[in-house]
Amino acid sequence: MKLSISGVGKNFGAVRALDRVDLDIAPGEFVTLIGPSGCGKSTLFNMLAGLLEPDAGGSILLDGKAGALLGRTAFMPQRDLLLPWRNVLDNALLPCEIEGLPRASSRARAEKMAVDFGLRGFEKHYPQQLSGGMRQRVALMRTFMFERDLMLLDEPFGALDALTRSMMQRWLLDIWERYRRTILFITHDIDEAIFLADRVVVMSTRPGRIKLDRPIELPRPRDAHLLTAPEFTAIKRELLDAVEEESLKSFSA
Amino acid sequence: MSRGVVLRGLLGAALLIGGWELCVWAFSLPQWILPPPSGILATTWSARAALLPAAAMTAYEALSGYAIGAALGIALAMILALATPLRALLLPMVVAVNSVPVAAYAPLALLWFGTGALSKIIMVAFIVGFTVFLNALDGLTRVDPAAVSLLRSFGAGRLRVLWVLRLPSALPAIATGLRISTVRAMIVTLVTEMLGSQLGLGWTIFQAVLLIDFLQVWAAILVASIISLVFFGVVSAIERRVVFWR
Amino acid sequence: MLRAALPILLLFALWEAAVIGLAIDPFYLPSIRVVAAAMQAQAPFYLDAYLVTLSEAALGFAMGGLVGVGSALLFTRLPVVKDMVLPIFIVSQTVPVIAFGAIVVLWFGNTLMAKAAIAFYLTFFPVTINTLAGIAAVDPRQVALLRSFGARQGAIMRKLLLPSALPRIFTALRLSASLALAGAIVGEWFGATRGVGAMLLAAMFNEQIVSLWASILVAAAVGGTLFAAVALAERAMVFWREEL
Repeated sequence: MKLSISGVGKNFGAVRALDRVDLDIAPGEFVTLIGPSGCGKSTLFNMLAGLLEPDAGGSILLDGKAGALLGRTAFMPQRDLLLPWRNVLDNALLPCEIEGLPRASSRARAEKMAVDFGLRGFEKHYPQQLSGGMRQRVALMRTFMFERDLMLLDEPFGALDALTRSMMQRWLLDIWERYRRTILFITHDIDEAIFLADRVVVMSTRPGRIKLDRPIELPRPRDAHLLTAPEFTAIKRELLDAVEEESLKSFSA
Repeated sequence: MSRGVVLRGLLGAALLIGGWELCVWAFSLPQWILPPPSGILATTWSARAALLPAAAMTAYEALSGYAIGAALGIALAMILALATPLRALLLPMVVAVNSVPVAAYAPLALLWFGTGALSKIIMVAFIVGFTVFLNALDGLTRVDPAAVSLLRSFGAGRLRVLWVLRLPSALPAIATGLRISTVRAMIVTLVTEMLGSQLGLGWTIFQAVLLIDFLQVWAAILVASIISLVFFGVVSAIERRVVFWR
Repeated sequence: MLRAALPILLLFALWEAAVIGLAIDPFYLPSIRVVAAAMQAQAPFYLDAYLVTLSEAALGFAMGGLVGVGSALLFTRLPVVKDMVLPIFIVSQTVPVIAFGAIVVLWFGNTLMAKAAIAFYLTFFPVTINTLAGIAAVDPRQVALLRSFGARQGAIMRKLLLPSALPRIFTALRLSASLALAGAIVGEWFGATRGVGAMLLAAMFNEQIVSLWASILVAAAVGGTLFAAVALAERAMVFWREEL
């Protein structure tokens, strides 16, 4: 699914959170979005998920068509937000239930998918019995069960420790290549942004704007060694400069 | 809970009852100050023919009022959880009515509904209803807004959010309300019975006080406490089963 | 202040509107104006009831609060005693202890002390339990930190444990304020001649619905006074907490 954002801005009272954002994402593309805290990344995400209306003048088109966005993109918030009274499978089935899909077929699909998500044997476990990485995989699986071509992932690995996080990154790439969805992924971590993406988009401090749009032409499949490769480091330096400049602005402001 | 803590608790209870019994004998305390536990038990047994029907009546009033109040409280909370403007108007008034001590409403209930079981059942339903309502509404409205957003992004409407998210999230709070309400139901039944009734443990206590029959007062309190403990225990056990994720 | 008064005024307005609009039988609900006029006509009488019941409830409540916190601190120092006593305290919360009011009145006779004693024990148990729970909930790492600074038991108690337990202590106090008042009122049913409880009883036996409603309003006023006192103390002492 092709996503076109043009001239999208948002004011909250007198605060200008987002200022004329233009961004196009091609079908099947993996785009990461980085920027200082409070730059309006989450505001943009909430608008793409249809939870928030953009101010007049902006437009968000999915496959060239406008219209209500609620329920048309698969949105994954920062925290896993698993329901403690539902087991792993029932948590993953939540969006299908709300959509009103037939239970038996969704269930069969979820059971198959659980294998890919490393949750086999844990289907009947409750969230509070799982580790942080596993909970995040359940939340991600829930997002995949909501079969939408565009996935919005808001810092899904932000709360994980560094080791778990790098494992989850490689695993996500694996899943992505298998299921081929379009992904827009927010992160604070430059390494993560480069490692995962086809394109890294850097946002400016408030009011949020697109500051840099950098294609990442590193070969796939990618592995952990990539992080120390010279071409990786060169991109990282370039992006760090851009992010640093913005962070300094927000620090002195 | 470790075994040591349980043992110490039992030891404490044993010391209390044993010390009580011993004090009564050692200082030969008159009954009106403190009857011995053995005497209370003996009276409870010998007066069982009178205490049993009174206990049955009290339990009947407390349980019926409890069931009615709990159902009304939860239903009202669900309606107000959906109707936000109505809630802002009604909630402060509900809190104001609720801040009047229960005991003050009891004479009114007796005047309106007579000295039979009805006045007690209505009083209990009133108090339990308030307690459950306030707890349930708190649970229903104190839901993570991010979780609501997530469900909305899946295309869920208000009713669906209520059913899938709000109600299960509120279960711990509702269960707490239901648990506290067991004791309140018993208290209100006894207090209202004291004011006027034909049968019931509260009435037994009131009569015994007027007749200065101390053992009878203690015996009635003992029976009321046992009913209350069982009631509380059953509701707590159900709570643990239903709210398993806490 | 205004935020507290508004719902009450609204309630009164609704009351009056219902009486006029639905033509309610005055046996069920007399007009608020009639009730107010009755209270005004016998102002000293109602004021006396207010003061009597308030002093009974407030005296027992204050003592119960102080002794409750004090015993919790004592129990923290003596864990064995705590383990022995706490279960009994907790069980006391699941049985209708208010019924002991009858016995307390038998002990003390129809005195202020009798009602204060009922209010006392209705406050004492929940406050002790909640204070202990609040102290138990303190992060042991925070205790360790203070220890590492060389703090002694007493200092840890004053500077960490007691302040941390304050929110829960006030939760218990808010709950017991209404319990203490109910205890005082029920205590007055056993032959007292003054106080809100005695007034309620007299109005009921004489089927004087106006004075019954007036007594209910006086009871609400006593409850409101106690609540306001607790709320003021809470605002002054637990200022660091967000809106509760």
